Amino acid sequence: MRLPGTLLRYGDLVLAGIALSLVPLLTGDSPYYLRIATLMLVYMAWTVAFNLLFGHTKQLFLCTGALAGTAAYVAVVLARELGLSPWITIPAGAAAASALGALFSYVSVRRGLGVIFIGIVTLAFSLIFHNLVLGLRQFTNGETGLVTRGLGLPLLEQPLAAYYVFLALLALSVLAYCVLMGLRTGMAFRALSDDELTAELAGIDVTRYKVLAAAVASAILGLLGAFYGFYNGIVSPSVFSFVGVDIPVLIALLLGGMRTRSGPLVGAAAFTLIEEVVRPFGQLNVLVYGILLIVLFVAFRQGVVPMLARRLRPSAA
Amino acid sequence: MLAILFDGIVQGLQLSLLAVGITLIFGLGGVLNLAHGQFAVFGGVATALLLGTGVHPFLACVGGIASAGVLGLLVDRTLLVPAYRYHGEERLLLGLILTLGLSFIIDGYLNYQLPHFALSLQLAVHSVDIAGVPMRTASLAASGIAILVFGALFAFLRWTLLGKTVRSIIENEVGAELCGIDPARIRTLIVALSAMMAGVAGVVQGLFSSLGTEMGPEFTILGLLVAVVGGVKSINGTLAAGILLGIVNAFASHYIGAYVAFIILLSAAMGTILVRPRGILAGWT
Repeated sequence: MRLPGTLLRYGDLVLAGIALSLVPLLTGDSPYYLRIATLMLVYMAWTVAFNLLFGHTKQLFLCTGALAGTAAYVAVVLARELGLSPWITIPAGAAAASALGALFSYVSVRRGLGVIFIGIVTLAFSLIFHNLVLGLRQFTNGETGLVTRGLGLPLLEQPLAAYYVFLALLALSVLAYCVLMGLRTGMAFRALSDDELTAELAGIDVTRYKVLAAAVASAILGLLGAFYGFYNGIVSPSVFSFVGVDIPVLIALLLGGMRTRSGPLVGAAAFTLIEEVVRPFGQLNVLVYGILLIVLFVAFRQGVVPMLARRLRPSAA
Repeated sequence: MLAILFDGIVQGLQLSLLAVGITLIFGLGGVLNLAHGQFAVFGGVATALLLGTGVHPFLACVGGIASAGVLGLLVDRTLLVPAYRYHGEERLLLGLILTLGLSFIIDGYLNYQLPHFALSLQLAVHSVDIAGVPMRTASLAASGIAILVFGALFAFLRWTLLGKTVRSIIENEVGAELCGIDPARIRTLIVALSAMMAGVAGVVQGLFSSLGTEMGPEFTILGLLVAVVGGVKSINGTLAAGILLGIVNAFASHYIGAYVAFIILLSAAMGTILVRPRGILAGWT
């Protein structure tokens, strides 16, 4: 008897899952639109992870692209240099990203860094990552990047199969998020995002929960980053650039609604839509993008999902 | 050795000039300005356009810097109004996104309108000897300008009533308001002033080597880095942080390659934040 209740409680996610699994019908045979839809799934999962970091535990990691990129490079370089199967190197990459994320979190909690300071330390890491990739030419091939075709993941080379692989990865990320939020950890996250000192005084081990959130989120970032690297056919610094990953993820989260379950999904979908609206403007696209960003944020200050929720249930707000 | 040290100090002064505006706007307005580098580029571009019309170079520079100030004034009075309605974290987030959007607009427009733009100013004398070290006059002029600007800023904050008002708002906005200070007006003034200082940094970059329309994001990131290493709210800290990182960068790029130098610069910034999380001069100012 509990299953229908659970389905109802997670109704928004079930709906999103059904809608997303039907997307390939909509895009038809167009590989272009299917690719965009696949990218959207990647951004959705990244935003779910970022929600865990910035939304729930107030850790502004400005290195989502660098963490995803670290995992992708670890996975691809290991597969190339040692001839290992991607099924081994991808988890290794995700583990590396997770360890790095946990390290940043641990150090910043221990040093009592404020939001902006964590932001800048991680931003510095992003820049270091890019310079390392450019500098370690013998492994990474610098700006040009590494080709990942034929390294042992033929599944990701078929567009439709790849779409469902990424849908499964997104489902896995959302599941991890829901499990964390459903258990005692969720309660701890809520307490420490309200007021860290009070949470600490109430006996919550703030360091442990923040590091846990960072480790899980970075693992998701890395997992998707590594798979995306193999799907993309090439890993290069520009694939995981700050402008290409961090800023879209931040915008998607704020647009969808921080600290909400479906906000990251809605935000990333909206972001993908905006990108497509802006594309025909050619050289002026950056300008139009900036205008849209400002207008949308003045209109939906708290994010789309919280505003919709308030519309639908005025009493709950 | 001495030449590298000089070089580092000169670079560091430029970094501080760029960062001090971010520090001031954050201290006073609670907004982390992500379009600050774009203000600098805007000032430089305006200068170049004025130069193109045949105005005297000095007047062109003044005009360019002033137009950056006008841009700052407009931004504060229009774009940032929604952000100022909120306080604390909400204002910070909304301000972050609004200024990010602004930076895209400025970058997008300038890159579209002036794709192959470069501002470079030449001085009559190329280099002079100081303490036996040949120095480019451009570097000397650049550091002279930076020292002048900082001197004026410190004098303004220390000895004028308006400057004291500014410091009181940075210290405690509500308290200042209770004393009859209108934070909104002072804020507009400071944003305009900060934009002008960014404009100075942009023009000086043109003096050094050349300024392109694509340099905005780089300026913003460097400025942010320096401002945060300095403690985001401390002006002395920003100055010290800029000079420190400038010297680190000069030595690293002289003895080691360019990629590694930048990594060392970033690691130094990270390290300073971790060792002194409240800013390098925290507790002394």
